[in-house]
Amino acid sequence: MKHTNRIVNLLVPIVSVLLSFVIGCIIMAALGANPATALQSLWIGAFGTMRNVGTTLSRATPLIFTALCACFAYRCGVFNLGGEGQFLMGAIVSCVISTQLGITGLPAIILCLIAGALAGGVWALIAGVLRVFRGQNEMIISIMLNYVATLFMGVIYTSWLRDGSVPQTVAVPDETQLSRLGDLRATTAFILALVVGLLVYYFLFHTSKGFQLRAVGLNMTAAQFNGFAVKKFILMSFIVSGAIAGLGGSADLLGTQFRLINGYGSGYGFDGVAMALIAQLHPIAAIVVAIFFAALRVGSTTMQAATGVPTSVSDIIQALVIVFTVAGLAMVKLPQFRAVIDRMATKSVQKKEAV
Amino acid sequence: MISEVLLSTVRMATPLIFLALAELYSQRAGLVHIGLEGLAAIGSLVGFLVSLITGSPMLGVVAGAAAGILTNMIFAYATITLCAEQIVYGMAINIFAPALAAFIYRVYFGAGSELVQVGLMSTLSQSLGIQSNNFIVQLFLDQTPMVYLAYILVIVTVIYFNRTKSGLNYKAVGEYPKAAATLGINVIGVKYVASILCGALAGMGGAYLTTCYANTYVDGNVAGRGFIALAAVIFGRWTGGGVLLACLFFGFCDALQIRLQVGSFGIPYQFFQMIPYVATILVLALLGMKKSGPKGVGKAYLPEER
Repeated sequence: MKHTNRIVNLLVPIVSVLLSFVIGCIIMAALGANPATALQSLWIGAFGTMRNVGTTLSRATPLIFTALCACFAYRCGVFNLGGEGQFLMGAIVSCVISTQLGITGLPAIILCLIAGALAGGVWALIAGVLRVFRGQNEMIISIMLNYVATLFMGVIYTSWLRDGSVPQTVAVPDETQLSRLGDLRATTAFILALVVGLLVYYFLFHTSKGFQLRAVGLNMTAAQFNGFAVKKFILMSFIVSGAIAGLGGSADLLGTQFRLINGYGSGYGFDGVAMALIAQLHPIAAIVVAIFFAALRVGSTTMQAATGVPTSVSDIIQALVIVFTVAGLAMVKLPQFRAVIDRMATKSVQKKEAV
Repeated sequence: MISEVLLSTVRMATPLIFLALAELYSQRAGLVHIGLEGLAAIGSLVGFLVSLITGSPMLGVVAGAAAGILTNMIFAYATITLCAEQIVYGMAINIFAPALAAFIYRVYFGAGSELVQVGLMSTLSQSLGIQSNNFIVQLFLDQTPMVYLAYILVIVTVIYFNRTKSGLNYKAVGEYPKAAATLGINVIGVKYVASILCGALAGMGGAYLTTCYANTYVDGNVAGRGFIALAAVIFGRWTGGGVLLACLFFGFCDALQIRLQVGSFGIPYQFFQMIPYVATILVLALLGMKKSGPKGVGKAYLPEER
């Protein structure tokens, strides 16, 4: 029975992606483009050359971090919607350290990454403390903190660390930038994202603390009766998820972004939530989904140039994937649907036994 | 200056009132909806387009409400019929609806077009031809019909939930749906009605932003109001009157922030823009543990389990 569950849980996102692409193609056709050409240019734009693969992976890097942030928090039953703010706080702190302290090179990189993770963790902790000690809704708090962080970044690039007449900060010095992977545009930040993903996976599924954390997320009352330190786990998951997002902000700033400008990081937090939900809170699956989302974004630019279909079609496809996946996952849990699946499963087992 | 801030408070509180009432009607039927931000985004885009095409901001608001209802039907079907988790699905709406709004805007106006502007709804005193700088006249007459509608809706809501049998039935669905069902109340029906009301109100709240407040549409123009409205419902203790006061408070914070930006005092303007968001956090933090929301909120209702 567990086996069928797995297959169904894997099928739902795949069917959702296919459905979303079908609707995407209908929209493309309605806009007067040939869907086949459009999809082809989308693919070439995302994965056609090694150069494009590099761009896709570098675009995926920040998304992987925010997706892992959401995965970790939700596994503990914490709805941290503040990934964007935590990401930005990490980037802001790294920007200040790398451009203002006068240190460069590897020490600066290490200091930036640690400080970025800390900044993200502290920013998330505000919501965590209010949730645990004041019983408040962490979703609203963490979203409000996103707006505060975005505005604070605005203060940095328009006033405090403004670089001349343009509203942006100076770039991270060359020596402090993360090195590229060969000639790809992707940097070691991508490797760091993969490592964090593996660590999160290992912690959640192969350690006893990770097991306890998931137990808290599944049933807080039961976990409490089992003597788990529920409050500690909740606070910890706020800090760690925030730290993952903050580390992401830091790595992305040092890897590809280099300076704070208007609109940086916008939407990354919600994107992370969407990817985590499509991946059903599995860290490794979240990485795959993040690369898929990044491919859609990078490829859509080529698609626009080749066929005139606006890039926002890819946003629609991404949004549809999440709308379908979440609905689909709920649908397969309905009793009526369960009955059908169970009957099919027993039948196939009987068939095998008959053979 | 004080009169200026008060006038602007009324203007800034109005979209919040619509959005908070949307949340109130949804939660009273047991549906927590964190997707108001998305519903408002699509309402604001459709309101803008229709008002631009027809030249009538009123029609824009109606269309915004219709767009809100249509979008919210996705949420309703997924959470009521498919029993999807409400918070998760609200989040999905928050991602889907703004993407749709941005897409429609790009397709309609083409990429890289200049900012299109639209005429705003005229205020009562403008339509009556009254011109006065008197504060009282301005406060009560120099408002768009949407403002009056918002306050009328608050009064109607208070009466409906406290004085009518239908309102009590409606609340019963949010408190304890199984008990409500044994009393012969159509739980699923009430939840769908709630979703229609919620979609319409949220769509109108969004349309207010492009038909009465700003004369253009920009992505992200809802600017967190959907979530502030969510806080207003908690702050207002799930009652019509409380929600109104909470919205006026948050509207005041917004008005204050706009006024302070003009003064500037050498402080980066972003610090003033933070005021509404920080105020929301502080209000929730000071509010403490007391919970008085509908008991059945957030839980799926499966009729088979009766």
